[in-house]
Amino acid sequence: MPEQIMTQPITQIISPDLKFVKDIIASGGESLKKCYQCSTCTVVCNVTPDDKPFPRKEMMYAQWGMKDKLISNPDIWLCHQCSDCTAYCPRGAKPGEVLGAIRKMAIANYSVPGALAKMVGNSKYLLMLFAVPIVIFFAIIASLGNLSLSSIPRGEDGGIVYSKFIPVPAIDTVFIAAATFAAISFVLGIKKYWADMSAGISVQGNLMGSIKATITEILAHKRFEKCNVTKDRKTAHLLVFYAFAGLAITTTWAIVYLYGFHYDSPYPLYDPLKLLGNASALALLYGITLVTGNRLKNAEKAGKGSYFDWLFIAVIYAIVVTGILSELLRLANIAILAYPTYFAHLVFVFFLFAYAPFSKMAHMVYRATAMVFARHTKRD
Amino acid sequence: MPDVNRILVIGGGFSGLTTAVDAAETGAEVIVIEKNPYLGGRVAQLNKYFPKLCPPICGLEINFRRIKTNPNITFYTMAEVESIAGGPGDYNVTVKVNPRHVNDNCVACDACAQACPAERPNEYNFGMDKTKAAFLPFNQAFPQKYVIDSAHCKGDCGKVCKEACKYNAIDLDMKPETINLNVSSVVVATGWNPYDANKLDILGFGSIKNVITNMMMERLASPTGPTAGKIVRPSDGKPVQNIAFVQCAGSRDENHLPFCSYVCCLASLKQTTYIREQNPESKATIFYIDIRTPGRWNEKFYSKVKEDPNVSFIKGKVASIAQDEGSDDVVVTAEDMMTGNKVKMKFDMVVLATGMEPSGAAKKISGVNYNENGFALPNLGIHSAGCSKNPMDVARSAQDATGAAMKAISTAKLAGQGR
Repeated sequence: MPEQIMTQPITQIISPDLKFVKDIIASGGESLKKCYQCSTCTVVCNVTPDDKPFPRKEMMYAQWGMKDKLISNPDIWLCHQCSDCTAYCPRGAKPGEVLGAIRKMAIANYSVPGALAKMVGNSKYLLMLFAVPIVIFFAIIASLGNLSLSSIPRGEDGGIVYSKFIPVPAIDTVFIAAATFAAISFVLGIKKYWADMSAGISVQGNLMGSIKATITEILAHKRFEKCNVTKDRKTAHLLVFYAFAGLAITTTWAIVYLYGFHYDSPYPLYDPLKLLGNASALALLYGITLVTGNRLKNAEKAGKGSYFDWLFIAVIYAIVVTGILSELLRLANIAILAYPTYFAHLVFVFFLFAYAPFSKMAHMVYRATAMVFARHTKRD
Repeated sequence: MPDVNRILVIGGGFSGLTTAVDAAETGAEVIVIEKNPYLGGRVAQLNKYFPKLCPPICGLEINFRRIKTNPNITFYTMAEVESIAGGPGDYNVTVKVNPRHVNDNCVACDACAQACPAERPNEYNFGMDKTKAAFLPFNQAFPQKYVIDSAHCKGDCGKVCKEACKYNAIDLDMKPETINLNVSSVVVATGWNPYDANKLDILGFGSIKNVITNMMMERLASPTGPTAGKIVRPSDGKPVQNIAFVQCAGSRDENHLPFCSYVCCLASLKQTTYIREQNPESKATIFYIDIRTPGRWNEKFYSKVKEDPNVSFIKGKVASIAQDEGSDDVVVTAEDMMTGNKVKMKFDMVVLATGMEPSGAAKKISGVNYNENGFALPNLGIHSAGCSKNPMDVARSAQDATGAAMKAISTAKLAGQGR
């Protein structure tokens, strides 16, 4: 009852961070101010703990610009954006979208260098971001004299061999550098995030157990099953997730072939590596199409998504489409299209890897970390 | 153009009646069109009403008497306005009058009902009981005339009822009639309907036992209701010891009614007194977003209810209702915002404080302007009063209706002067 609040001493003076509020609004949380704190959202949410549930309190923190209470809050990542809250929100405040925007800002807050995160989150810098891999790969091709496509050496059977267009060691060098950069950025980000989360909380006990349990849960995608409005996301996300896993295995396998057995690509279609790669590519195409379809289908109830979301989806689409086309065009021996497509494929893959800590790809790492923390601290 | 100041009042509820008697007592000729077989509208369904918490008939009766004694007022029951054409000072109105199948000979002796073999769901009690197909809407209904519900009185039923009547009051051959009226101005006082609780999917109305609406609660608590005023739960007749009120059930919600219905907080506060007075051991819990009791008197009433230690208030909207496993109890989930925890609480019965949907949302009268929510808008000589215009309580409806009477009177005067 109101009197109870009145009699409690004021223990905290809130200084709203107005810029933070504006940033949330600009990041896809434009409906934030419509919230009138009725708490329908927390009740319809099936993934929140019952104790201090989200997202009602997050909506309040966001309206007041209480950045510290949000950015380091594991709850924003326990949210899987089922959008049940958004569908039932009586005011159209779209808590799911607002938390999505806050997660984007959390990624920008923790990733190093932060400036790059701002660029990934803003369409103004899109061309500049793409320019980096374009320049790198262009320089490699130019240095090999492969700008004239007809002069690129062919394989023994006269077929297209991409490694003669851009040598695999050159690609590997670029990607190892990109991946190392991303990994360092992730490690620094997560370290800071963990420190912020655990500030003032004694974190003890069996961390490995929490990690193991979290991984098991992620592998099974259990939490998606609790969503109502966007129930069909489980299949879509599961496909994309395992397709990426398959492609990661394929890539490692290719490294073993090349450097372990000095076995050069292209590999025949019946090679198990090729079978796995192609199956994964098709799964990814199907999965990301489902993701897109679900998002469009649920847009009215769940919200239309932000630039940050759609950039990530578009890049995955571009990777899988250029990847499949590269293979088909190589097999069809259409050089004029095959080489540029392969080039584009490399550019998109670079984009995904190098900018992973700053893009929505980072959700994988931050959400997993938050889930481990929540489990470890008995929050979840 | 009519020679006299003739005003059509659409709706014979509290607002319509107030407009009618106020205008008629200034000398205007008033015609009231009422859809139900009785006058009094929603107020006639209440157990007690604000501000004095008296039974509705004590306020309605005085208006009925003013109607009966005033030759300037004509009223039609079971009638609906189909269209309005023309302009201020000269409106042509088409009215459809449905057959009551009972004429003015009726003395309300109940013989037809006693003989009647067929039953019908009693919408006056929100379907919680049945009446015979020959029925008096409720015991103090005005006019005191029975109705034969021809949709439910099939086959021999009509004949049996007719034969039971000693006064030759039953006329099975009555047909719907269309009448045309020429009036100088119109007052739309078509009132409201309780928002359809079936649309609130997460609140379980209709599928979960012992979830009722606030208007059903009025009937349950009323001495003339289906349980003769004993507040017992519908599923098993158990006296209600522990009750929950779910505020804003469909109100202030853009998926349902985007506006605040104004009366639901007061209605729930009032209904806690019903149960508390009936059962000293009982407990009531109100789940709310904000308690809205504007005005000094209303605020005072809120304070008074809060003093009762058996009435608790939980700030947090209920967004999930389930049947208790193994009983007819109802489990309500909300976030108690004062503690910041989700609470699941069990109750004997849950009342959804559903809001007021203006009647214009479901049915629009041709010639009347409405806003996007179905509230009637003023348009030249067509005025609106009461809840057809805005959600309001009975006292405000009466004030508003008097204002509408003034406007309606002046419309004819101004139109007569060519303005």
